[in-house]
Amino acid sequence: MSEPIVIEKLTKYYNKFLALDNLSLKIPANENVGLLGPNGAGKSTTLKILCGLLRASSGTAYIDGVNVAEKPEKALARIGAIVETPEFYGFLTPEETLGYLGRLRGMGGDELKRRIKEVIKLVRLQDWSKVKIEKFSRGMKQRLGLAQTLLHDPPVLILDEPALGLDPRGVVEFREIIERAGKEKTIFFASHQLVEVTQICNQVAIIDHGRLLAYDSITALKKKYKSLESAYLELTEAPLE
Amino acid sequence: MSEFERLRIVAGYEFLKHFRRKRLYVILGLTLLAELAVLILVPVLGDGFPNNVMVMAALLSIGPSLATIGAIFFAGDAIAGEFENKTGFILFTNPVKRSTLVIGKYLACYAAVALLVILGYVIVVISLLAIYGTVPIETGGSFGLCLLYAGSVLSVTFFFSSISKGAMGATVITLVFIMVISGIIDGVLAMTGQPHWFMLSTNGDTIATIYGGYEAFMGGMGGFGDMPFELESPDIGLSVLSMSLYLALCFVASLFISNRRQLA
Repeated sequence: MSEPIVIEKLTKYYNKFLALDNLSLKIPANENVGLLGPNGAGKSTTLKILCGLLRASSGTAYIDGVNVAEKPEKALARIGAIVETPEFYGFLTPEETLGYLGRLRGMGGDELKRRIKEVIKLVRLQDWSKVKIEKFSRGMKQRLGLAQTLLHDPPVLILDEPALGLDPRGVVEFREIIERAGKEKTIFFASHQLVEVTQICNQVAIIDHGRLLAYDSITALKKKYKSLESAYLELTEAPLE
Repeated sequence: MSEFERLRIVAGYEFLKHFRRKRLYVILGLTLLAELAVLILVPVLGDGFPNNVMVMAALLSIGPSLATIGAIFFAGDAIAGEFENKTGFILFTNPVKRSTLVIGKYLACYAAVALLVILGYVIVVISLLAIYGTVPIETGGSFGLCLLYAGSVLSVTFFFSSISKGAMGATVITLVFIMVISGIIDGVLAMTGQPHWFMLSTNGDTIATIYGGYEAFMGGMGGFGDMPFELESPDIGLSVLSMSLYLALCFVASLFISNRRQLA
């Protein structure tokens, strides 16, 4: 299993509601793959299963060949993730939060201090690094969320609507950061924003009602459907039987 | 990195949380107020301080007990808060066992409560030394029972926090369970002459009754009056067993539930 992310026949029920229906996907190394789909399509559920936050009703998710359900700690050591709008302990500052999370991941000493400074600078929170997070706006928390995904320099990033809540400048800066990171990392990235996905990803998986509708390069989808937007609209409009 | 090192890190940051929260200082203030009220009201409303140092020691034990009940406010959001406030989306995506996180939170809560209990007993000791020039040996036992009671109350709170959707719900349920439900059942069992050593409220009473039982305590305060039933002092040994069971069983249950709980 050479792909860093492998999803095999994932099915997830919330009581009687079928959120994922036999979904299978393989994300190759160093590829940036967008996960597209309308609200309730199953994007967040997929990412939450990959991050060990939810258990699949059936099927398996692997990170670097490690079964997430069986060995979550080993699997999670390889990823950096933002799932939903990130929330942090309000009583800590960004520096303290990153210190806490870094230490939980086995970092420490000067290396951790240096890395905290780097990622705080990267997400432009230098002026707020010693301010308690309880005073932060949603966009600032989103920036801190991005900082914590990059802190330990993981080979795999799992991002769920990571630009949500950012102002226009923040969105542009965020894209630049992810684009840069994406050159040497595998990124699996759920979003509603087709423009964002086009700029960051080279492949997309389109899902609806928990089913995989298409998984191809953006170029191939554009060729087949004229544009990514057309592909998305055409594929997701059909009612499922 | 060992799981023990991670546990140390979690407990450290969780303790920092308690240290920075206002509620620690509110409960500390209430503990001091309770002790002060006993020290002022007993001589004002009675004929000075009781002659027996044991009675006064039992009366002053209300402060540490209050601190223990206050622990519910520390622990109510320990697990439920991670789900309700969605901080779990960050914390649980780290390569740390859920059990390590829960144990770390428990240890931090316990350290914060123990701090309050210790402060409460420092006041008890200073007050007794100032008034009577002596401290009964039973104070050590009372202190130990209070620490054990704190552990059992925390475990019950963690249990309710692990099954509750919100922190407020967990806090209210625990308070109602310990202060109301346990108290009512305890009272009914006592009145009907049934064993009630397994009730948490009975167990909490041992913190004061260790100084000589209800009789010595009430006798020092002017007697029972016309009680419709005989009030039997709780057995310390059985209470220790009961509190240990609450501590262990509720904590293990909270660990199990927290490990299984999903963050949707």
